[in-house]
Amino acid sequence: MREDLPVIVTEAVGDAAGRWDLAGEIPLDLLRGLGGKGLLCPEIATQFGGLGLTGRECGELTAHVGSLCSSLRSVMTSQGMGAWTIWRLGDRTQREHYLRRLTAGELAAVAFSEPDAGSDLSAMSTRIREDGDTLVVDGVKTWITASVYADLLVVFGRYGDGGAAVIVPATSPGVRRDPAQSPMGCRAAGHATVTLDAVRVPRTNLLGAAGQSLAMLTTIALTCGRLSVAWGCVGILRACLAAAAAHARDRRQFGVPIARHQLVARHLAELYVAERTATLACERASDCWDAGSPDQFTGAVLAKLVASRAAAQGAATAVQVLASAGAQDGHVVARAYRDAKLMEIIEGSNEVSQLILADRVMGVGG
Amino acid sequence: MPESTSEQLTIAMIEQRLLDFLVERTKIEWEVGQDLFESGVLSSLFAMELVVFVEKAFDVSIEREDLALANFRTVRAMTDLVLRLGKAADA
Repeated sequence: MREDLPVIVTEAVGDAAGRWDLAGEIPLDLLRGLGGKGLLCPEIATQFGGLGLTGRECGELTAHVGSLCSSLRSVMTSQGMGAWTIWRLGDRTQREHYLRRLTAGELAAVAFSEPDAGSDLSAMSTRIREDGDTLVVDGVKTWITASVYADLLVVFGRYGDGGAAVIVPATSPGVRRDPAQSPMGCRAAGHATVTLDAVRVPRTNLLGAAGQSLAMLTTIALTCGRLSVAWGCVGILRACLAAAAAHARDRRQFGVPIARHQLVARHLAELYVAERTATLACERASDCWDAGSPDQFTGAVLAKLVASRAAAQGAATAVQVLASAGAQDGHVVARAYRDAKLMEIIEGSNEVSQLILADRVMGVGG
Repeated sequence: MPESTSEQLTIAMIEQRLLDFLVERTKIEWEVGQDLFESGVLSSLFAMELVVFVEKAFDVSIEREDLALANFRTVRAMTDLVLRLGKAADA
């Protein structure tokens, strides 16, 4: 990976992540600037204006972004999923047209979840139907990350007997975006409820074809998202480990740096274990992805489960080590604590992940 | 009929690779015409495993309308897909 890529992100974020968290917003021109350099979907091939990173390199960059700001990393996850969905399901013309836009500063959000379809995506009720040369989309999508910023919404829904995804320009008549009020974590990630009321788009915006399985299509997008979230959790852990180590070195109590107290030292060791374990699970999953191995799907679920649990636990540990020094909204460990908890929920909750892994164990022999 | 013989051999080889993969992953034996998803036990995640297995094992790209569950329901359907995509690539 080009050495300047993480540096560009570090310089763009500067010391602003805490302020974005408090304000609940990242400046749009900053997102467009990073997007225009291909940094928000860095796996996209150079022929479409992307950076052409491998999955493993993209993961490392995602972890770096996640170590700085989980809200920005969430926007990156959405952009990556949108671009990947267009790449995997789109035809040559759609790839050329839309991927170029997503590497030139336009932003994407991906819409799966609905009021009555969270863990059970098969209960999705959003409908895509044909009307002459146009498609009509109706439905309500909740907690759509980055949708406040997005130019393009990649909307999954029912289509004929199966499912499809459709690209909906966010400013289309009939699209309404209601920003989530005071989200607990990833506060600046631009979550919103997206209502689609008889939204009309050209037929050429359809990704996929008649008769496809909605569950297969969502698995394609979610696998990309799970890898991204998992690497983001690695970033959270790296930020927590650095903050806890620095504090344990500088903060003195009972006449010595607190790192010299064994109960604090154990916290540091546990944080290190969490960071290493999450990293190894992510590396393994990304290598499967890069190799085109069938294990990439359960690998992504495993990495996401391992990394999000490690991040939730590790962030709580980091707050414990920093104590009052970190117990303020906007502080890196305070953000980590709130952001990491949400990572145990999105892109397949811990429980859904466990059910998938249990299936893997049992095959059909169960 | 030499051409037909060679094609039959190819079909048998494709089917065997698929059956081997299935027994390894699902821990049970399958017939070439048996519906893998009828019981509801195998998931959409497993369907995607089949997609990338077929892509990698037989060096084909499965895109657009071919990414349909119907093409992965049986070993026979997957074999037909591999033969069709292989011919398209040769053409």
